[in-house]
Amino acid sequence: MSDKYIIQIKNLTKIFGDGVEIKALDGINLDIERGEFLAIIGPSGSGKSTLLNQIGILDTPTSGTILLNGVDVTEMSDKQRSKTRNKQLGFIFQYHHLLPDFNALENVMMPLLISGVKSSKAREIARRVLDEVGLGDRMDHRPNQLSGGQNQRVAIARALVNKPSIVIGDEPTGNLDSKASENIYELLRKLNREHNQTFILVTHDERMAAKTDRIIRLVDGRVAENSINSG
Amino acid sequence: MFELDVATRHIKSRRRQTLFSIIAVSLAVGIIIIFMSMMSGYTSILIDSTTENQAHITVMPKEDEDYIHLYHGLENHIYTLEGVEGVSSYFQSEAALQYQHNAEGVLLYGINPEDENRVVNREKYMLAGKFASIENPGSRIILGFKLAKNLDVEMGDTVTAQIPGAESTDFTITGIFQTGTPVDETMAFVNLERLQDIYGSGDVITGMGIKLSDAYAAEDLANGIDRETGYDAISWMEQNAEILTLLETSEDMVYFFYIIIFGISGFGVANVLIMIVMEKVGEIGMLMAMGTSRRSIMLIFLLEAAILGMSGVIIGCILGYAASAAIASITIPVPPEMYFGMDHLPIEIELKNFISAGIFAMVINIIAGVFPARRASKMDPVEAIYSV
Repeated sequence: MSDKYIIQIKNLTKIFGDGVEIKALDGINLDIERGEFLAIIGPSGSGKSTLLNQIGILDTPTSGTILLNGVDVTEMSDKQRSKTRNKQLGFIFQYHHLLPDFNALENVMMPLLISGVKSSKAREIARRVLDEVGLGDRMDHRPNQLSGGQNQRVAIARALVNKPSIVIGDEPTGNLDSKASENIYELLRKLNREHNQTFILVTHDERMAAKTDRIIRLVDGRVAENSINSG
Repeated sequence: MFELDVATRHIKSRRRQTLFSIIAVSLAVGIIIIFMSMMSGYTSILIDSTTENQAHITVMPKEDEDYIHLYHGLENHIYTLEGVEGVSSYFQSEAALQYQHNAEGVLLYGINPEDENRVVNREKYMLAGKFASIENPGSRIILGFKLAKNLDVEMGDTVTAQIPGAESTDFTITGIFQTGTPVDETMAFVNLERLQDIYGSGDVITGMGIKLSDAYAAEDLANGIDRETGYDAISWMEQNAEILTLLETSEDMVYFFYIIIFGISGFGVANVLIMIVMEKVGEIGMLMAMGTSRRSIMLIFLLEAAILGMSGVIIGCILGYAASAAIASITIPVPPEMYFGMDHLPIEIELKNFISAGIFAMVINIIAGVFPARRASKMDPVEAIYSV
């Protein structure tokens, strides 16, 4: 069973605040299969980003457990979490967060260099991935020389370069126009099918959500809907 | 090492601010090297003039004795010790020198000029006459030039020495010396045998001066002579303990001043790094999301501090060297007796000063980098990422 599920969340709760407490997540239970392409939707303040940050082990829960590839990440040390993020997780945020002082190729190389891959090998792998996202001719460009859509493609390449088993996107098309959004979505879908990586996307865009394999709807920190998309 | 790449790019992204902080560090290092060179120069002059103008070791009579008897045997024994270059036995007495209506108190030294020159090169300080003029027993005297001035005497004049416990004796001035030190006013030399004669003490001495090939071996050798002979052997360090302590205290106080200067330049470095950290919040969050450990984040900013510091140190060393060399070449018109006979500012350019200043600056700069580095490493990645 644990082989089928890449992520298993049990009774996950996150409470913020010392004075006035806010329960952002309230006993979430969720299993996500390997290779799924799913969307998390819900109104503002429903806990979507909080859930994503927990799965991405950027934050720790107040209670509950999260198993990634069968390993309980809630018990990990800071160092172990860093290593796991580098090897098993890729992140795409609404803002691309590319390092402005590095060009596209160097940005994509970064996760590889962090994991200790030699510079020459990292360069080779990064070139290939940038080609895959359609930016093979923009490798030497810095973020301020690329469009919003191009920067987001570089961010996607960076998220995928280390071949993570899970890719997390928090409103990955939030800053883009509809055409660019459509292109990005298609790219993500293509990569998901080709590499069988699990994609978990938070989105406000109901149309995009409808095109994923499954929709998880959160309301007030709880799973209100967990439905397979037939389309 | 990706941390170094990130650190270098951060520095390049804020050229103006990093340039100013490097200038601050360079100036601090440069100024401190100049001060250290001046301190080294003054210390050297002080110690050189001390070790050149007095015996490295002075052997005194045993406790409860006024004289060293059988000193020839002691001389021979001391000559067998390693590192001994010269031994000069002397008979010292207080006296009052009189000429016409003038009188001055002096320390009269009865010496053998050839032996004495081996221990302290008196000949080089002679203004008039020869030091060897008192070689043979006779009533000849050599005075310091200030003493001569106070007595209003010249070469060839005869002064009367009033020696406690002995008859007054006339001496003819056959030499005048000038060292640029207080002894020019307080010291006079006569022949050893002559003074022993005047005193009627027999063939005894009141002390023995020893010169060594290595002045800094004086303390150990003095202790050895103490142990072996029972005579009281005092090194020049012991004799000048107050001056050496004063030098040490001055050096300690100056180090406090160096810390302040470096501290001020360190604030410049810290300021630049704090600005970079504040500007790069989102970037730091993303680096953490990609798996960069907090330790690596801290290392990035400490490397930035090190790069700024090292650049400042290199430029500062060049500036410090150039300025020190320029100052050393300036001739200043001061009376020689003010500066131990020197007519220019004493500067000694020593490698150890550059190394000290460099290490000092690097340490302070790394410390300056710790606060911004820790601040960056302790960021909450979620807050950092979503702050942009």
